[in-house]
Amino acid sequence: MHLAQHEYGYLSDEAKREVAEILGLDPTHILSLAGFYSLYYEEPVGKYVLEICNDLACALRGADEFVEMASNKLEIPVDATTPDGLFTLKTVMCLGACDHAPMLQCNLRFEENLDEEKFDQLLARLRTEADEPSVVEKITSYAIRE
Amino acid sequence: MSDLITLTIDGVEVSVAKGTRIADAAKRIGNDIPVFCHHPKLEPVGMCRMCLVEVGLPVRDRATGALLTNADGSPQLNFGRGLQTACTIQVSEGMVVRTATEPVLEARKSVIEFLLTSHPLDCPICDKGGECPLQNLTMAHGVGQSRMHFGDKLKLDKHVPLGDLIYLDRERCIQCARCIRFQEEVVDDPVIRFHNRGRSLEIVTLSDPGFDSVWSGNTTDICPVGALTTADFRFGARPWELTPVASICPHCPVGCNTTMSTRREAMANGRTVIKRIMPRQNEAVNEIWICDKGRFVHHFADHANRLTQPLIRQNGKLVETSWGEALDFVAGKLQIDAHMVAGLAGARLSNEDLFAFQRLFRDGLKSQNIDLAKRRLAGGDVAAQVGLSSGSNLKDLGKGDAILVVASDLHDEAPVWWLRVKQAAERGATLVVANARATRLDAFAAFSLHYEAGQALATVNQLVSMAKVETDTAVTNDIVSAAEALFKAENLVIFYGSEGLAYDETDALAKLLGNLLLIENGHKHAGRVNNGLVPVWPHNNTQGAWDMGVHPAYAPGYKPVKEAGLDATAVYAAVANGDLKALYIAGADPVGDGLMPDRGKLDFLVVQELFLTDTAVLADVVLPAQSWAEREGTFTTGERRVQRYYPAIPVVGQSRPDWQILAQIGERVGLGKPAFAASLTFKDVARIVPQYKGMDYRTLAQVEKQWPDVGGEDLYYGGNAYENRSGLGQQWPVTAEKSAVAHFDVPTVKTGRKDGLQMMWTAVLYAPGTLVDCSDVIAPRKAQPVAALHGTDAARLAVADGDWVEVMVNGTAVQVTVRVDDRAPVGLVLVAGVPWWPGTAVADLKKIVAAALAVN
Repeated sequence: MHLAQHEYGYLSDEAKREVAEILGLDPTHILSLAGFYSLYYEEPVGKYVLEICNDLACALRGADEFVEMASNKLEIPVDATTPDGLFTLKTVMCLGACDHAPMLQCNLRFEENLDEEKFDQLLARLRTEADEPSVVEKITSYAIRE
Repeated sequence: MSDLITLTIDGVEVSVAKGTRIADAAKRIGNDIPVFCHHPKLEPVGMCRMCLVEVGLPVRDRATGALLTNADGSPQLNFGRGLQTACTIQVSEGMVVRTATEPVLEARKSVIEFLLTSHPLDCPICDKGGECPLQNLTMAHGVGQSRMHFGDKLKLDKHVPLGDLIYLDRERCIQCARCIRFQEEVVDDPVIRFHNRGRSLEIVTLSDPGFDSVWSGNTTDICPVGALTTADFRFGARPWELTPVASICPHCPVGCNTTMSTRREAMANGRTVIKRIMPRQNEAVNEIWICDKGRFVHHFADHANRLTQPLIRQNGKLVETSWGEALDFVAGKLQIDAHMVAGLAGARLSNEDLFAFQRLFRDGLKSQNIDLAKRRLAGGDVAAQVGLSSGSNLKDLGKGDAILVVASDLHDEAPVWWLRVKQAAERGATLVVANARATRLDAFAAFSLHYEAGQALATVNQLVSMAKVETDTAVTNDIVSAAEALFKAENLVIFYGSEGLAYDETDALAKLLGNLLLIENGHKHAGRVNNGLVPVWPHNNTQGAWDMGVHPAYAPGYKPVKEAGLDATAVYAAVANGDLKALYIAGADPVGDGLMPDRGKLDFLVVQELFLTDTAVLADVVLPAQSWAEREGTFTTGERRVQRYYPAIPVVGQSRPDWQILAQIGERVGLGKPAFAASLTFKDVARIVPQYKGMDYRTLAQVEKQWPDVGGEDLYYGGNAYENRSGLGQQWPVTAEKSAVAHFDVPTVKTGRKDGLQMMWTAVLYAPGTLVDCSDVIAPRKAQPVAALHGTDAARLAVADGDWVEVMVNGTAVQVTVRVDDRAPVGLVLVAGVPWWPGTAVADLKKIVAAALAVN
């Protein structure tokens, strides 16, 4: 599934069917797995995916407001990608860093104790890092090691 | 039995089998612990938390292991620190369960409140309302209000088609996974699953077509809310308006017990109509399942094209006439030289019809020329001697037992048998499958023997002769090992069909398999309970037709006649060459089925039917018959269980029951007054057919409590359809149960099979035909004409996937699509969705260029 995601950039229904065919599984099984794990993307995503945790503990530390701020800043709703293809904004379930909320995960890296200023700095930095691998490349290199 | 465990539930002592879960044990003493995700036919998961109870276990001394007692002598109990799920915990000796304490009741309230936080409470427009476990348990255990802010409720899609048959309402779903578990655990069709997590959890499918399973309708039955509904019944009626009528599925030889929910409605101009068909619990037949064909293909009964009046040919045209005139005319035309008249019946007719049919011919017209219109599978006479013994239940087969399935694709021919055989294999029974191709049962088989087309008899012969002797274990190939497994089995059940076989071959096959059951190995299989032969008949009542003597050589009860009449094949030949003058066809369409090209040199043809079939349009008289939904009668299953069905809807037009029409013609040829009711005809059956002795409509209607209890008055299995109040039927005993049966003489069969690429007809569940064609719901799934062949053959013939080719079926050119599928054996083309033909034929595939395609 990681290889398919790497190949196509995300797991489309066609890609899931292809994986199922290769593994001899029912395609619904692949769909279900892709749906359960938040690092499988079923829609095209930007180079960076900003995954903000807004589960209960984070919400108590202002995660919901942080999501709203991020959404306004990027001028996209949650689950959408900026027109330049750079950022996708998502909310996710517990990442295990409640004590550092508001926090997010960007391309498998935690950014913690965030506020508006730090978020601006993060975006600015990411915009300049041209050599940084995309989120899908990052996930693949992490998940599949020789 | 020493495996019984005794526990106490709310002060009541109960002993149940080891391994029973607390919730099921409580059910045995009428204590209904509420459940949502739990279902006794599924593995427990403990997802919904509705069944929380207090569980106390006896305390033992750690050093000595002795049970500790309180000061008053009662056993010391440890109730642990919290509540436990009654659906997952197995009973243990001395366990004490409390189901009505304050913490338990409080937990139930909380679980209901929690489940309702994401439920729309749209009961007034919900199909399930009135028979909904969530509704019932909310009324019983809910608090009536919620701390959840209504504005925070999730709004989700309410009309998600999982396919064209099943719709999902995401808001109503309580995520118990009964449907998903059923599809995976029970029927091995895991085509629906959960997607995402938490509040975003959703049931999805990625199969093509969506929710691609012939069992999909069952998920709507076991859904404890209105989340899954059928396209057929959705917004169709409220459960409390429905009258349940017991019926028997008319599609295949399994004979699933069903309930028709009927209602009088304005949409049908005040007529009573069938709103849905659901399974009726019979643990010896279909448990609580039916396939989608049984559930959705019933619309033919109410179809606008049904015949409503007798028709008679005048000046070349069929015109309406009265019953009196039609019957007089038919009776007059049939009273000719007995050798010049013949009758062919369909195997969908009831026992009463078939009995009246043979009586008209044998006693009234003195003719033995009667047969089933389609001779596909022989061996009724063999099954009468060594068939599955009475009292057998496939559910009892498991470790140490064996099942052999020959030349049949049970999944598409008799789905519920497929399910029960699969489950027996999962319980440990050794499954041996022998066929010319791979079928879905292979996945559960210990041995899959794939013989070459035409080698069925040789293969089974080998199997039987090896099973006779202690085989040399040094030789290890599948057929030897399979023979050994069959030889060693405690119990042996054999299913056989006609796939790729000519009629004479099936006759030899039945006898060969009969001999396998008669082999002595300390014990003989034939005649013992849970042993015997089961023919996979092409129709629901082929067994009944054999029993009733609709056979040129057998009178009712398998009494050989002195001089056998013409069989169907001979009848068709005689029609063509003028050796027959009059032909009576009841409930069959040999012209449409490609068995009889036209009416040949017949003087007189009468057809008794539901519809104006291809045969009926050629007739001199057409008599309108009632469908099974309009009248009562009995069918006999392939396991020889005689079962009763009841009238559900009013008579269509002037149609009459087949047995009555036949008896009224009988009256005109000197057979006396017709019986007033089907039950009286059945009395004659029981008097004349020895196997049916002692049966009548009352004994067939007898019921006994079915376990697991899912049809009772409780609040959580829901529905009014499961409970069997109208009869479990009676299985008639075979000869081997009462006396010794001699080995069968197996005839040598000459098939005249020609060399070359062969093609074989294969069964598909939704094959086009008179009945399936009338169901709009199932129409998108109707089988298309397809020829599946191996890549090697495709390459050699230079055809590709999706190409159209022409093949000859029964002398007629038929256009089929090519499907290149390496599951098809090399050298054998599998053709489906076209009229049946016997045996295999040389596959002469002619590729059709697009321009030459007939416009359909």
